[in-house]
Amino acid sequence: MFVSIKWLGRHVDLTGIAPEDLARELTLRTAEVEGCEPFAPHLGAITVGLVRERVAHPDADRLSVCTVEIGAEEPLTIVCGAPNVRAGLKVAVATVGTVLPGDFKIKKAKIRGQASSGMICSLAELDLGADHDGIWELPEEAPVGSDLASALGLEDWVLEIDNKSLTHRPDLWGHRGLAREVAAIFGRPLLPLDTSIPACGAGPPPQVTIEESAAELCPRYLALALDGVRVEPSPLWLRCLLAAAGQRPLDLLVDLSNFVMLDLGQPNHLFDRAAVADGIEVRRAAAAEEMVTLDEGRHTLGSEDLLICSGQRPVALAGVMGGADSKVAPETRELLLEVANFHGTTVRRTAMRTGLRSESSARFEKNLDGELVPAAAGHLVRTLLSIQPEVTLPSPPMDVGVYATPDLSVELSPEMVRERLGVELDDNHISTSLASLGFDITAANGVYSVGVPSWRATKDISIAEDLVEEVGRLHGYDNIPPRPLVGELTPPLHDARRTLVEALQDRLAGGARFHEVLGYSFLHAELCERLGICDQPHVRLVNPVAEGEDRVRRSVLPSLLGRLEINRRQRERVAIFEIGKGYLPEEPGDRGQPREIHELGLAWSVPPSDKGAAFDDGAFSRLAGVMEDLLAQLGFGCASFVGLAPDAGRPAWAHPGRGALCSLADGTAVGFIAELEPGLHRPLGLMDDLVSDVACATLSLDALLAAEKPAFRPRKLPRFPETKVDVALACPAAMPAGDLAAMIERAGKGLVGDLELFDLYRGANLPTGQKSLAWHLRLRAEDRTLGENDVARFLGRLERAAAAADCTLRRD
Amino acid sequence: MEAHAELRDEALARLAACTELAELRSVEKDYLGPEGAIGALLASIPSLPKEERPKVGAAANRLKKELEAGLDKARGELETARVAAERAGGDFDPSLPPRRAARGSLHPLTKVRREVERIFSSMGYDIADGPEVELDYYNFQALNIPVDHPSREMQDTFYCDEEHHLVMRTQTSPVQIRVMEQRQPPFRLIAPGRVFRNEEQDATHNHTFHQVEGLVVGEGIQVGHLTGTLKGFLAELFQRQVQVRLRPGYFPFVEPGFELDVACPFCDEKGGTCRVCKGVGWVEFCGCGLVHPEVLAAGFGGRDDVDLDKLTGFAFGFGLDRLVMLRYGLDDIRNLMGGDLRFLEQF
Ligand SMILES: [Zn+2]
Repeated sequence: MFVSIKWLGRHVDLTGIAPEDLARELTLRTAEVEGCEPFAPHLGAITVGLVRERVAHPDADRLSVCTVEIGAEEPLTIVCGAPNVRAGLKVAVATVGTVLPGDFKIKKAKIRGQASSGMICSLAELDLGADHDGIWELPEEAPVGSDLASALGLEDWVLEIDNKSLTHRPDLWGHRGLAREVAAIFGRPLLPLDTSIPACGAGPPPQVTIEESAAELCPRYLALALDGVRVEPSPLWLRCLLAAAGQRPLDLLVDLSNFVMLDLGQPNHLFDRAAVADGIEVRRAAAAEEMVTLDEGRHTLGSEDLLICSGQRPVALAGVMGGADSKVAPETRELLLEVANFHGTTVRRTAMRTGLRSESSARFEKNLDGELVPAAAGHLVRTLLSIQPEVTLPSPPMDVGVYATPDLSVELSPEMVRERLGVELDDNHISTSLASLGFDITAANGVYSVGVPSWRATKDISIAEDLVEEVGRLHGYDNIPPRPLVGELTPPLHDARRTLVEALQDRLAGGARFHEVLGYSFLHAELCERLGICDQPHVRLVNPVAEGEDRVRRSVLPSLLGRLEINRRQRERVAIFEIGKGYLPEEPGDRGQPREIHELGLAWSVPPSDKGAAFDDGAFSRLAGVMEDLLAQLGFGCASFVGLAPDAGRPAWAHPGRGALCSLADGTAVGFIAELEPGLHRPLGLMDDLVSDVACATLSLDALLAAEKPAFRPRKLPRFPETKVDVALACPAAMPAGDLAAMIERAGKGLVGDLELFDLYRGANLPTGQKSLAWHLRLRAEDRTLGENDVARFLGRLERAAAAADCTLRRD
Repeated sequence: MEAHAELRDEALARLAACTELAELRSVEKDYLGPEGAIGALLASIPSLPKEERPKVGAAANRLKKELEAGLDKARGELETARVAAERAGGDFDPSLPPRRAARGSLHPLTKVRREVERIFSSMGYDIADGPEVELDYYNFQALNIPVDHPSREMQDTFYCDEEHHLVMRTQTSPVQIRVMEQRQPPFRLIAPGRVFRNEEQDATHNHTFHQVEGLVVGEGIQVGHLTGTLKGFLAELFQRQVQVRLRPGYFPFVEPGFELDVACPFCDEKGGTCRVCKGVGWVEFCGCGLVHPEVLAAGFGGRDDVDLDKLTGFAFGFGLDRLVMLRYGLDDIRNLMGGDLRFLEQF
């Protein structure tokens, strides 16, 4: 909202208060001032000129060549196209070099062969409203050569107030309300304003009925007839105030209506009385009832919308916009003024549904003070009479509705104010502060009964805490000394999940050299389609940020997959992880909320390994190593990777044959790891230059937190030397390495201290359908040094076990 | 000439010719080894005439000692020469780009969040969490934001069903109610987390961002405690005293409510052409206030173990993304969730 400081000055004496200080104090005590700028600085660059002579342009009928005196030695020659330019007229001159609104710079020009150095301006060109008769005819007393702003007293400052900081303050949506704050802040009186409706004729008052079902939606409606009104341009003072407040001046009636709205915060409407000759009826719209508004928009309404009608015909959408048919025409002389109080939510919803949010609806939706209804009528009429004294009021106003003046008072103990704010304010200070804002204090037995003024009584002030705020902000929150919180010292609650998350993050970003990314919770349909997860149940947004981006993720992994391509373009090795939440709507809680899961997702992409690369060079193996390390580091012992049956369920991203459950030593499955489904490489952009080995994994934080950690017993240093033995086992190609490892462990009868696969071989020297796995073993015993006999017996056991399992122990 | 004298001449000549350790080893082997010449000489003694035996034996032992000393000396000289040669360094170039180590990184939001958590934790705050898909009740109603409240529209909520029963939480404040339902006052906590608003996106607005909620509930909580706490936190975070200002702000779940501004860390409150504070000199940091009695009633109502009349509290909420941007001088919030490692790997 734009606020004119000059306008505020109509309500409170601002002498000696700099605009910047006013802005700062309002920000610190009332509402955030976002801007403080001089009003129309271009007016200071315009010079008052006198047209000495006007001759017709020799080559153009409608142009005049004027000699204009501007107080300089030489008068200017200016070509002007306005019909009203004439000798003896005082005009607004923009000299060469002046920049007008719209970044329009005046230059020396030749117009149809005539040199012109400057421009005689119209009101529109100076951003002061519409043109009526061409150029602006300045008052005769304007001194030639002086700047326009000071010559006409147009200097002003404009404050821009953040509307959001006024949401709860309907009283601040007009200059008088803000002036009340300024008066209280600076300890100056609010100047009186007569808003009574002047004496009226004795004619029959306007007819107004409010349909019973609309009584709550329109608690108060005042109609007042006006006769003898002339539609004409507004006086300069009014135009300038409106322009400063960001409202374009149009004509007197529109301007007056806006003036009252911007002054008191109360919207109002002027009807052509002929269009409402059948009297006013306020009612709910019928189902699918249609109406055309002032802006020619056609709207289909319903019973939630409130209409102002005359003879069944809608003439206005209550509080939002007038109807096209009841518009005031230039020749209109007889008007009906409407000032009403409408139900805030109704106006807000209608405005939103019809897309007609306006200055008027913005105010109504804050729940306005009903007392403003007659005040705004009186203010408008009195201002109109000051401009057009011949206007008459043929009949008394009709003021109807269920509205009753609120009688709200709140109990407040001054002690509570001191306690909550933490400042020693004396009782007198507290009551004076409140009184300066219009509260009515009655003290009894150390407790105040605080009468709430009508303009603060619509939802704004209702409890003692609200009054604490009033005293606090006027005192200045900055004047409250900060102090440390005092309390019992106990260690903060232990949070197992947070500890786990941090351990995972640190291990991954540290030793494993992964990068942490954070992905959006919303998945785009396109990605879901590519991943083939569209059919899974997802929480769906009703109003997504973009078409199709409406699925709330179940798992963090899809977001990671979506990030592989952009990063693979930049680097060969992409190792990323995210720890986040997923939502499963198919498992709703007791109040319908989806089940929340906490998950770690990992994705590792590397260029495909060469044919001759080591068996553990691929992405799967590397990622499995990371998983193993993570679980060991977190104290979950030794992880195992167990292949899935072909028909077992697996995530859509997982390769059907190259994946495994990740399980803890006790068999609890805590995660899943797999190479990327080959069909996804192309959709994910990992082809051609970017062709990659990709492995992904998920680890369920929930499963880890539920799992029991084995007691951690660090291994003792061996007391007797170890014996190193290498063995190779040839076995059928399909046999899992894990089975062979288990076979070696069994044959070792507790002697195998460490077991490391160092080669995996397929090919020549082996029967077809066979592979050979070679292992480094460290044999040791707790109680003695192992001898050759021990090794020989171990190899014998292993040989027999191998033979029994269709394998061969190869010794070379 | 006698055989042992010949042997001595030959051995000493070979020793003198050695330039490498390997040659010394072969000299040692040839003369002093188990099958070496000196051994052979000693072995030949019994076959010699009796009177020659002592002389040859003495000569062989002398030669053995002489050779051992010579070998030691030669080894020492070779080692000295090797060290000297190695120390010469050759054409070593320390500026040759080193082999690159793979790097990992924590997300900047994680880093700053941890710092925030560490500071509050050190002040005795617990750390709480709440769901991102939230019930309307917790996100709005219990926070004194009834169905018709205009601030619901200010927040541009993502709804998860037509009935508007489930929402993507627009703030971390619902955690306040969830914690009140579970716990016994007094307590203090922060609740960092992800929040969502369906707003126009630009360099400073994203539809998904992160907040840190703070809540203190107990008896006798005052406005000064709130400013004291936040000032203390900011001083610790920025490692210097930070100017703050408190001004009125409206949030339905606090009364009185404030906005807390921080003196712009980039221009030190001078404003001017500063891009970060847009010349104002202050940066909006957080919304805060004393907990609204309606919120305390929603969270603790109907419990025998809580006396609502005595209960007070303060709450605050600030944006973590904004803090990260302030901290590192970033100019586009969308980079944080963009997943581009060229940006993220720096942290
Ligand atoms: Zn700045």
